[in-house]
Parts: sequence; structure tokens; C-alpha cells
Amino acid sequence: MEIDEIKQLLELLKDTDITELQIERDGSKLKIKRERFMSSFEIAPPVKSAASAAAKEEARKAEETQRLVTITSPIVGIFHRSPAPEAPPFVEFGNTVKKGQVLCIIEAMKLMNEIESDVDGVISKVLVENGQPVEYGEPLFLIEPT
Amino acid sequence: MKLFKKILIANRGEISVRIIRACQEMGIKTVAVYSEIDKDALHVRLADEAICIGPASSSQSYLNIPAIISAAEITDAEAIHPGYGFLAENPHFAEACMTSGITFIGPSPENIRLGGDKAKARQIMKRKGIPVVPGSDGPVQDEEAAIKIIKKIGVPVILKASAGGGGRGMRIVSEEKDIEQAYHMAQREALAAFGNGDLYVEKYIPEMRHIEVQILADNKGTVIHLGERDCSIQRRHQKLLEESPYIFSNPRFRKRIGELAIKVARAMKYRNAGTVEFIVDNAGNIYFMEINTRIQVEHPVTEMITGIDLIKEQIMIAAGELLSYRQQDIKFSGHSIECRVNAEDPERFVPCPGRITTFIPPGGPGIRVDTAAYSGWVVPAHYDSLIAKVIAYGKNREEAIARMRRALKEFIIEGIKTTIPVYLKIFDNPDFLSGNFTTHFLENNNKTVK
Repeated sequence: MEIDEIKQLLELLKDTDITELQIERDGSKLKIKRERFMSSFEIAPPVKSAASAAAKEEARKAEETQRLVTITSPIVGIFHRSPAPEAPPFVEFGNTVKKGQVLCIIEAMKLMNEIESDVDGVISKVLVENGQPVEYGEPLFLIEPT
Repeated sequence: MKLFKKILIANRGEISVRIIRACQEMGIKTVAVYSEIDKDALHVRLADEAICIGPASSSQSYLNIPAIISAAEITDAEAIHPGYGFLAENPHFAEACMTSGITFIGPSPENIRLGGDKAKARQIMKRKGIPVVPGSDGPVQDEEAAIKIIKKIGVPVILKASAGGGGRGMRIVSEEKDIEQAYHMAQREALAAFGNGDLYVEKYIPEMRHIEVQILADNKGTVIHLGERDCSIQRRHQKLLEESPYIFSNPRFRKRIGELAIKVARAMKYRNAGTVEFIVDNAGNIYFMEINTRIQVEHPVTEMITGIDLIKEQIMIAAGELLSYRQQDIKFSGHSIECRVNAEDPERFVPCPGRITTFIPPGGPGIRVDTAAYSGWVVPAHYDSLIAKVIAYGKNREEAIARMRRALKEFIIEGIKTTIPVYLKIFDNPDFLSGNFTTHFLENNNKTVK
């Protein structure tokens, strides 16, 4: 490995979050380790934020490993699984859905917003509970596209 | 005292941190709202709850009224503080809060509407006998009307957008022959920036100081003033530095300008915190310019010399509390200066967003730093470039300046460019130090300051 290459690698590393990098090539091994100044925040992130960050992470992993599509909330509001309180839910686990089909309602400022599927597929997981407040970008459903 | 249990802060950056701090001191729970790109922002970390309201774009997040009201509903927030900028002076937002049963922490929608219609505000104050800069009585119909006014009051004049603000939509006309072109350009700009091409004409006062007065008004109509701030150091009509008191102020001047500000507030039945802006010319004449119906960026300098927490006062007034101070209870002590540190190139003032690799704010006696930045934080490109406000306080102007100079030199911000070098030059400038400056300070001192 040439000095220039190593310099380039170090330059690239600088602007990332990577703290440790190991490269093996042509019989030579290079290990770069960086002490990052971790701002030790005693303040815990807000509960809602932590929970939805976890949900987003779960959805992201599911997307990667199982090629599932995540339907996220485009607005802030309350998640309703059914068109009316006593009515059956729009969709359940295992249901086949078509692109454009209504999956749920999100209530915001007393208005009911219908959330539609982006893809044809099968409901793999329902990620939120009925009546749960949801924020923008909150993962709602995992769909296995057909 | 029954205040709110929970307040949602409809803003970001340093002002949202400021509001969260006041709430925490008062035992009020806080809800932060944030766009996706702000998920690691300081205000999100400090609040009790945080709701993501949209993608990075302001129009889909911090300006998104349904998203913000909905966030207040799902968290059971009883009140919303709009901060400054964004929706703070949007009357529809104030009304939407009211309709949803949420208290808007600020003035009434009518106050906001009038504050946003600068030509009309001028007209009303003129009728109430408040001195205004000579000019048109409301917006001008067309360029013939503008020419008529110019013939009456004489050049130079300044054309201003009635729906304008932030120093935009203004054009100075030094010669009568230039009026037609200036009129059309100003109108086009106003239409593009504010959706409203109405212009009004004012006599342009070249050697002027921008002196503004902080007021507080409760729901019973009691109004008090908390002194004046000198905001004459500006670049392209944007404030760079603010100080209180005005260097040439004295008890008589303060009484005069303070009472004028109170008269303005009463004329419009103003509620909550606001700032009345005046122009003061060479001869010491005071002219009403406009009213800002919000808490301002520079509110800390008033807090430092009066000892009054303006955000707490806003919250209490909004909760229905009457003012606990009478005018004679307000005491002014010492001198305070604020510098706005922006993530901008100090030569060209172009925004420079990016990752702050090291952030070590100054400290020590008489130094206050209001910021939402921290080491490792990435300054987003989507919003304004204000990184931190450094506020210095001293027993007199000399001490405040010495402390500010020291603090700016101590302030370490690496990874991005900031405007700190501009301020260091201002604090070495003899005209600034002697108080011999007007709103043209930066232009006149181009070589030494820029």
C-alpha cells in the first residue's frame, strides 16, 4: 500500500463517523483506529424519539434483510386501524393489498386521512397500535412486495 | 399561579433551546418539533418529548401548520410558543391555534396582521399623533402617486414593501428621475418575496440610528416598556449587533421614546411581548417605523440590563397573568451587547453549512451564550445561518466591549467558517467605540471592517 493511498484513506475517513477501519490486500494489512470525541450527553433523548428511532431502525433492518417495503406516515396524527371504531381493520397480517389500497387512517386536526399502499404485496407486519400517536416518517406497515 | 402543564415549541435552533429553558425553570413540560434533518438537534435532546413533523424543507416542516397543530394535539400541549421567524408572525397560525383550543404565546392575530401591514401601521400611528417618518399615507397606488409624494417631501426617499420585513424589499431613490424604474423593480421584488406588491414611500434619512423599544402588555391592557436597544450596526438592513442602552440615551430620552412605544402599543391594543422600532435622526427626532409582533433575536440584551426573563413573561401573560411590574419597577443597570455568530464566510457573508468539529463557547464573568450548536453537529443548509448569540454584560459600555472582545477571541468553532472575524474588527473600530455610527457604519468602514 502506497503512502498516497493511505493519505487518501485518512482524508476520506475524516468526514465520516467511522472509528475503526481494517483493510487486507495483497498480503498487507492496514488498520486505522480513531479516537472520536464523543460528546457525553447525560441528557437522555426524549422517550417518544427513542421509541420511534428504534422502530425506524427495525424497519430499516427488515427492509434490508427481507426486501420488505416500509409504509411510513406522511403526517403527524393518531393511527386508526379501522374506518370506524367497531368496524374491522382495513388490513391484517397476511392480507394481500394492491397499490393505492387504503391501509389505515391517520387522524389529524379532526380530519381523517386515508393512507394508501405504495406497492402490491402482502402485509408482513403491522408496526403500530390502534390509537397510537404517530409522527412524520413513522413506520406503519411492512409489506412483502409481489 | 396556574400556568400551562405543557408547551410545544414551534421552532428550532437557539430560540427553541431558549424557550425550553424557560419552561424547565417554570416546571412546564416541553414538546419539541423537528424536521428529519434536525433529528440530532439540541432542542430535540433537551425537550421532554419530540415529534418529527416533516422532511427538511421548511414549508413541509417548521412552516407546516397542520403538522404542528397535530403534534400539539397528540401530545396534549396546551400552548404553543412560535419563537421568532417561521410562523411567529403568521396570523393564520395564531388563529389555527385558537380554533384548536391551543393558546398561542404571543400577540393576537389582529396585532400580527397590523404589524405585518407596515403601510397601514404607519397610517394608524400618524392619525394617533405619533410622529412617523414623512411619507405616503398608506401604500401608493402607482408610480404617479409615488412621484407626487417625492415632490412633496423631496429626495432621497426609500420605497418599502408593505408586506415586507427582514430588511428585504427596499429601494433607495436619490434622484427623481430614478423613481419609475425603482418603483417597478421594488414592486416586482415585493411580489416575489412576499406575494404582495404594495409599496409605501418614506423620506430616507441618511444619518439615522435604528433604536427599538421592548414592550410587554398584559391581557388587561397594561403596557410597560423595558428600555431601548440600538440596532444601527447592520449589513444590508440585517442586524449584526445590538446593544442596550443606546450610547446617547439618558433618562429623558428613554422616557420620551418609551412613552411613544407604549402609545403605539395602546393604539393597537397590543398583547404580550413586542418591539416598537424607531428611527432617530441627527437632531434627536424620533420617528415611528414599524412594530415587530414577536419576541426578537436580540431580546437577551434587554434581559441583561433589566434582570427580567422575557420568555417567562410571555408565558405568564399568555396564561392570563397580569404584569407583576409597574413602569417604575423597571430598573436599568449596566450595558449589554449582543453579537450574532453566523455560519457564513466573513468576507462575502455567504452561508457555509457543514460539520462543526470543535465547539468551545466562551464563558467567564458577564458572558452569556445562546446557542443550539455543539461539537460534532452538522449545520444544515436548509435554515438560517445563526449558530450562536454571544451576549456580553458589563457595568458600563467599556466593560461590556472588553468582555465581548475577550469572549470572541476565546470562542473556538472549527469545521465551518463564521462571522467572528467581522465582529473582532468592529470592536477595534474607533467610530464604533466612540458611538459615532449610523446604519451606514459597515459600508463606511468597508476597508477596515470587511
